Amino acid sequence: MMNQGVDGTITALDPNSVERLAVDPSRGQAPSYYVPSTGSEAVSWTTHGAANGSIQNGIDSSSSINHDQYAEPHLKNIQDGVTAMSAASTSNSGTANVPQEYASYAAYPGADTYGYGSTAYAGYNGGYRQQPNQSYPQQQSNQSYPQSAGAYQSTGAPHQPISSLQNTGSYDGSSSYSTTYYNPADYQTSGDYAAGTYSNQINLWNQGGYASYGHQYPSYPAETNGAYTAPSAAAIPLQYQQEHRQWADYYSQTEVCCAPGTENTSATSKSSLGCPVPAVTSVYSAPTNQQVASSAPTYWVPEPSTLDVPSVQPNEVITNVHDEHWKHGRQGFQNYHANSLQPNIQKSLDLNSAPVSFQDYQKPEYPHGPGLQYSATHQVPQDYQPPVQAAPQTAVPFDSGRVSKVNIPTNPRIASNFPMVLPRNDKPAMGGATEPAYVSVSVPKPNDEVPLHVAGDSVLKPGVLPKSLRGYVERALARCEDDRQMAACQDVLKEVIKKANADGTLLTRDWDTEPLFPFPNKGVVNNDPLNHLTPVSSLLKNRSPNRRTKSRWEPLPEEKLREKQITSTPESLKSSGAIHHNETNHQFSAGMPRTKENKFGNQKFYVPNQKATNRTSFRPAKRQRVGDGVGGSNNGDSSSDSDKEQSLTTYYAGAFSVADSPEEKKRRESRSKRFENNHVKRSANSHMQPKKVGDGNFYTRRASALAISKIIDDGAGRAVEDIDWDALTVTGTCQEIEKRYLRLTSAPDPATVRPEEVLEKALVFVQSSQRNYLYKCDQLKSIRQDLTVQRIRNELTAKVYETHARLAIEVGDLSEYNQCQSQLQTLYAEGIRGCHMEFSAYNLLCTILHSNNNRDLLSMMSRLSVETRKDDAVKHALAVRAAVTSGNYVMFFRLHKTAPNLNTCLMGECKIYSTGQGQ
Amino acid sequence: MASYMSMGEAHRRITEYLNRFADVVSYQDGTSLKHLLSLSSESSSFLALADALNLFQDANRLIRQADKYSQYAEIVAPLFRAMQSYRVGHLAESYQAFEKSANAFIQEFRNWESAWALEALYVVVYEIRVLAERADRELASNGKTPEKLKAAGSFLMKVFGVLAGKGPKRVGALYVTCQLFKVYFKLGTVHLCRSVIRSIETARIFDFEEFPVRDKVTYMYYTGRLEVLNENFSAADHKLSYALTHCDPQSEANIRMILKYLVPVKLSIGILPKRSLLEKYNLIEYNDIVLAMKRGDLRLLRQALEEHEDRFLRSGVYLVLEKLELQVYQRLVKKIYIIQKQKDPSKAHQIKLEVIVKALKWLEMEMDLDEVECIMSILIYKNLVKGYFAHKSKVAVLSKQDPFPKLNGKPINS
Repeated sequence: MMNQGVDGTITALDPNSVERLAVDPSRGQAPSYYVPSTGSEAVSWTTHGAANGSIQNGIDSSSSINHDQYAEPHLKNIQDGVTAMSAASTSNSGTANVPQEYASYAAYPGADTYGYGSTAYAGYNGGYRQQPNQSYPQQQSNQSYPQSAGAYQSTGAPHQPISSLQNTGSYDGSSSYSTTYYNPADYQTSGDYAAGTYSNQINLWNQGGYASYGHQYPSYPAETNGAYTAPSAAAIPLQYQQEHRQWADYYSQTEVCCAPGTENTSATSKSSLGCPVPAVTSVYSAPTNQQVASSAPTYWVPEPSTLDVPSVQPNEVITNVHDEHWKHGRQGFQNYHANSLQPNIQKSLDLNSAPVSFQDYQKPEYPHGPGLQYSATHQVPQDYQPPVQAAPQTAVPFDSGRVSKVNIPTNPRIASNFPMVLPRNDKPAMGGATEPAYVSVSVPKPNDEVPLHVAGDSVLKPGVLPKSLRGYVERALARCEDDRQMAACQDVLKEVIKKANADGTLLTRDWDTEPLFPFPNKGVVNNDPLNHLTPVSSLLKNRSPNRRTKSRWEPLPEEKLREKQITSTPESLKSSGAIHHNETNHQFSAGMPRTKENKFGNQKFYVPNQKATNRTSFRPAKRQRVGDGVGGSNNGDSSSDSDKEQSLTTYYAGAFSVADSPEEKKRRESRSKRFENNHVKRSANSHMQPKKVGDGNFYTRRASALAISKIIDDGAGRAVEDIDWDALTVTGTCQEIEKRYLRLTSAPDPATVRPEEVLEKALVFVQSSQRNYLYKCDQLKSIRQDLTVQRIRNELTAKVYETHARLAIEVGDLSEYNQCQSQLQTLYAEGIRGCHMEFSAYNLLCTILHSNNNRDLLSMMSRLSVETRKDDAVKHALAVRAAVTSGNYVMFFRLHKTAPNLNTCLMGECKIYSTGQGQ
Repeated sequence: MASYMSMGEAHRRITEYLNRFADVVSYQDGTSLKHLLSLSSESSSFLALADALNLFQDANRLIRQADKYSQYAEIVAPLFRAMQSYRVGHLAESYQAFEKSANAFIQEFRNWESAWALEALYVVVYEIRVLAERADRELASNGKTPEKLKAAGSFLMKVFGVLAGKGPKRVGALYVTCQLFKVYFKLGTVHLCRSVIRSIETARIFDFEEFPVRDKVTYMYYTGRLEVLNENFSAADHKLSYALTHCDPQSEANIRMILKYLVPVKLSIGILPKRSLLEKYNLIEYNDIVLAMKRGDLRLLRQALEEHEDRFLRSGVYLVLEKLELQVYQRLVKKIYIIQKQKDPSKAHQIKLEVIVKALKWLEMEMDLDEVECIMSILIYKNLVKGYFAHKSKVAVLSKQDPFPKLNGKPINS
């Protein structure tokens, strides 16, 4: 009903802007969804409500403020999107009561989101800092609205993205930002996942005590309730089919969002009353189908049955699910952290923002309730998608989704398959929303963790907090295996940081060298390597929720789900779609203790399934990445540089990955872990200079270098000779004088490479250093490496090699000396000036005394020019040679005494040798 | 002449060449074939052909015209191109084309059962080396990297692989080996010779003496040079002497080349050449050295070395000659001994180091007692002087029997 109305509007809009169209469909769906879901959700949410209540308290007042403030920026930033949003909302409103509310709702959020995303970011942060607790909740609440808006927008965006990657990119960027605040992500989820989440969110909001908004919402739930339970079983299948068709259409007509969207809306409308849930499920399935073309059909069949099941035991299931979801969500978060810590390229970026925020979520957020929950829910939905698409890499997809860019994951999918677009829309919306949610979560966290510093979000943090501290936090959290550990860890971290802040050492302390505090829990402490492993397992566990969705399709999982559902409390009813929503809700409840308990059991059940699914779905994940990359690259201003970089790297990674086998992926993952640290650092840097022009270029270069290294690793790709090394030559940005030498095993990271000026200083530093040769050797080697990496060949290079060669001679490190000497030979041959004579003499001496190779000696002597022969050092060397060949040891030792430069040292080295030879 | 050549004439010359080529191959006339392949001979017929080719640009069409020619198209077509480039002085391009032609020729050669085309193969191998050297010179003068000789080296290795097996073609292996030596010595990648030498010397299927004499001489010459570089004087002496005795007495240039290395080798084992020999073969750079050894004139030796340092360094005998110093010392001490014996036979075997220092001073060689003592001890150690040493009194006491043993063709300290 409502949907249809929406459809009409949508169609009208379509011609004008794709975005709008995209948005519309989602909106249309959303309303329908809302109705059913709200009822069930309301129940579940009540519990949350208390928690949320606190958060919301501040929210109401603040929310209005925020809206106003953001509205302006909004307009600027948001282009068609906002307008589309409003338009869409209005259209929706026409259809039903709910829609009206919705419209208003949407409008608010839309403005907020935009403002947040683009301009308001800074402002947000500031606000957060000042009034961390209150402001946050408010924002969140506000955000939630915006989120909804954002979700819509995002949905629109995904559509566009599909058609044009660039658009998506920009949208993503904005959406991601907005999303962070907006966790409304739920909203999105609702959009994506259908009404279920949506309604939930609404409920939440209501609970939250959004007075004005609340009115509208309550009404929604009521209506929805009625429709809710009944239809689910019967309606679902139908919806599925419809949706299927729609999806198919979408796929075929990726760009023509309007038509599909309308269809969807209509479909949803039909089902919406009966079962919004099914719609959701259908959406999920659709994506899966698209993503995994072959597998999709099979999935479809099972779905109906699963749907039915949910309907039968909706309430119980929901509760269970929720709990599980919560757990999953948490785990997911933890995992995320872990993952982020791990070196995946994408992850690394995520890590920066995500880890902190996530932690916060788990601990303190609950008060924030809505925001946190939302985020959780978002994640869950994402999870769902990922499993289907790319189960094996669950970690990766999760990360992407969770991290700040749900959008990205979805987009990638879209990107990979245009047809996918429609499903995407739902999901993308989700993604966009979810991401923001994450971000928002993160914001609160900072407060918790580092209240003193800057309330700043993940984004702010980089700028405010020393990156070393972030590294420290990451390291600390990386050890955590599960939620409890994570929570404990976070507590300790908070204490540490508070303390540091209190005594003013926060910025000055060397966090890199700061020992990690003992593990709070006696649980297993994971080292990094272990962590890597654990994350995977945890990811698998996390995926279980996702699998559930899938598992529903599959026989075994279904049964399990049912059982669980039965056991679960009867708060909310759910069709299968509802379940998802519920799950999201559960996440909300995640704050609650029980989730933990459930987690393990559920996870276990699903693990096997996940694996299977993972393999099949592996490919989609990659595609997602690609899409992400593209989107990211197009982000432009909206996204930070780090985002860009990440997206690029991910893009390349995805683009170049040929083999889809899980093993291959694993290998790649482990390989990519090597870059993790660098990424973290770099992202930190980029945050400091977010708008630096030309960074994009720099990153692309870096990314391409990475890509090339990947290619080389894979052994697929171009021959090494075909690579344009000039284009890949990096220019370092590292400003540290001292740097340990580490043999490069991958493309150099500009952030760890020192530019020439710094290297000059470093050389002086080493020369004047009083430390021992081992230290100097290490330093010089790192200087040499930086020079080589940047392909600097000039006097400085010669100086460095000469310095090192001299040091090596002094200590008798012949192998190191030989390396330097051979480099110097080529440098001198290139006409670079240095102490040519001195080193010719060394070379002669070395050949005479050490190599005993007549041919070399002959050729070397024949190459000596007349001027060279006149040089004292060379003369001396020649005299030494004569003394040695004639066996005049008296002369030899006299020469030894009078040797210029370091000839003495070299001769001393050979003394034993030559005397030995003499006898 | 090219300008006077008519198109018809050019056509005639080209077809004539093609005819001859096809006929020679079908008759298996190796001698004639080699003339057809000799690029650098610059015979009048060849030059005329090259002009004809430059005039008549579409020689490939002619080649393709008849089956008779076209079966050798892969050899002849690049060969024509090589000729054209050679004629206009583009040696690098000429080499490129010629190597292509040679490759095709090797393929054919592999398929020919008998070794009738060995002569032609020799020509090809020779041409490719010479052409590569000239091409490299051209490249170097143009500031480009000279790399053709290197390419020729690897090509020759391929040819060597074709010949090195059993069968009648093996006779040609030594020729290719020698050409390889030349390439490697020129390139300064002497170490690459080892594998070739091994395959020649370890293969017992074929007696070394069955190779053609000229190849044997060349082979011995190069391996002798290698031994000189390794300061393995006995082996060097043997090989170079073999080369000398088997070398055609008429080819004085070759003899000179051999002597260039044989003389230092002989010197180092105590055998001095006659002055006439050195003068006959224009090896006067060794005159002073021989003189210094006869006189025990250390200064002269050093002067000679300094004077011809470049030459000696390039030929690689510098270090060998430098080592003659000990023999010069020996000669000097011997002269002192003889003089002392004339003065006072009873104390002749006691040589004061002071005396040696004084003698060196006359030679304007500033050496103090310590150094002289060191030298004396080395002379004794190397068995150039028999005797012992009174450190306190600074006197070297020589053996009464044969205090200065002759090397007699044995290297020092062996």
